[in-house]
Amino acid sequence: MGRRDSKFIFMAVFSISLIAFGFIVDTPEEILHGIVRILVESDILISDYIGIGGIGAAFVNSGLLTLIFTMLLHKLEINFNGPAFASLFIVAGFALFGKNLFNVWFIVLGVYLYARFHKDKFSKYIYIALFGTTLAPIVTEIILNTSLPMHTRLPLGLFTGMSIGFLLPPLSTYLLRVHQGFNLYNIGFTGGLIGTIYVSVFKSYGLLPNSRVIWTTGNNALLGIFLAVLFFIMIALGIFMDRNIKHSYKNILGYSGRLVSDFVLLEGFGPSLVNMGICGLIGTIYIVIIGGDLNGPTIGGIFTIVGFGGFGKHPKNILPIFAGVFLGSITKIWGINDPSIQLAALFGTALAPIAGEFGWYFGVLAGFLHSSVVLNVGVLHEGLNLYNNGFAAGIVAAFLVPIIQAFRKDESDEA
Amino acid sequence: MKHNKKRIAKMVDELVTYMFSIGATDISINISDEVDSYRIRLESNYLNKYRKNLDKLQKYLNYDKQEEMEEYYWELAGDSDVDTELTLIGMMTDEAEIDYNDDRIKITLRRNKKG
Repeated sequence: MGRRDSKFIFMAVFSISLIAFGFIVDTPEEILHGIVRILVESDILISDYIGIGGIGAAFVNSGLLTLIFTMLLHKLEINFNGPAFASLFIVAGFALFGKNLFNVWFIVLGVYLYARFHKDKFSKYIYIALFGTTLAPIVTEIILNTSLPMHTRLPLGLFTGMSIGFLLPPLSTYLLRVHQGFNLYNIGFTGGLIGTIYVSVFKSYGLLPNSRVIWTTGNNALLGIFLAVLFFIMIALGIFMDRNIKHSYKNILGYSGRLVSDFVLLEGFGPSLVNMGICGLIGTIYIVIIGGDLNGPTIGGIFTIVGFGGFGKHPKNILPIFAGVFLGSITKIWGINDPSIQLAALFGTALAPIAGEFGWYFGVLAGFLHSSVVLNVGVLHEGLNLYNNGFAAGIVAAFLVPIIQAFRKDESDEA
Repeated sequence: MKHNKKRIAKMVDELVTYMFSIGATDISINISDEVDSYRIRLESNYLNKYRKNLDKLQKYLNYDKQEEMEEYYWELAGDSDVDTELTLIGMMTDEAEIDYNDDRIKITLRRNKKG
């Protein structure tokens, strides 16, 4: 079995395990009913699919969507390296609160049309397509939740989704320069910008999404055990795959994590799996310790950390971000276990490369700033950009990085 | 492919930034636009204390070409003066040759015009 095959099989088994978990906790009838509700209800932030369709439906939606995208990457002969894991785990995570089997395809189709327009291969843009599903809720919102007549809202929704996909490739590549790769969720930054423009136009025509917060509680034991088993298996598998794991893992901890830090390519699949599992455990333990809730959104955050455990995040660069958000909770007006702040800590790890490159203290500062900025920018896109934390992280990185660099001791001074 | 020549310029930018980071003071670069490919040749001195870094340089530049990575991330090449993107350069390159001795290094990269 080739290395590419083993990584593909891992992702396929992971997806199937999500589906299997769904069928263990709920009956097929409940799952079917729940998935229908997930497909037709609004997906804007924060819409916990566990609250909308139940645990079973949420996990089956997540597993199926991840499996379909895994098969697509395999079909396109993409190397299953760091970004593949990051993009697939981010789909798995957000398919618990915003992405579903209906709303993602129009954006993917838009990216496909962009590739065709430039007579290019779609496979070149596949990561942009996968990450780009961040704006999928806009499709659901227009087609299913506006008061416009069906003959208007259907084509408008389809056109909006596809046009977003069409605009994503040039914008997402260009905006990398703004934060120099220090925001790992670059498409979140891009999505925030696109979402702001689109929502501003829609608002001008009186179309305004209704804000809501669906946030489930009381499932920490069941979901915590599932996550712990999943992450321990990943760690054990990684250790089994690499006999020199101590050395390789030490190398991973030495990377800043700035884009492009592909741990799978640099150190191998085994050490990356160990790192992904450890990062997942840290995220889970953090939520439990602060008295938070394991639910669709927070597991989405945890899965995103796990995915980026192969592409930039490791304990040394994510812990300072958690510390910064925690520090904010002591001094600011909100509590550490407020829903938005739980998400700010998990998704704020998009700024991990700042800690990795400039030191833990700047990571703490980044987390501290991020927890305030993220609460302030969601209104710009009315919660239609699922990676709202990526949007905020882009702003924080674009603000902090040039300042840090300006006052950092230059290497020419050291001679 | 859009911005092809800009991508070549970014690759050169990244290589020059890297050479400065290992103590280069005399860098010569030649870029040739050939029939099917672009060829970048770089010759430079470097400080011998950085010699152990060159094994990694060789490893990074010889990574397989990955068009899906290039298409998304190419703008990052040569963009930071605090970190390097040599793996990205490897992913943008079809063929890489690196020769070095105690104080000189010669790098040749070939990038096909058709993706």
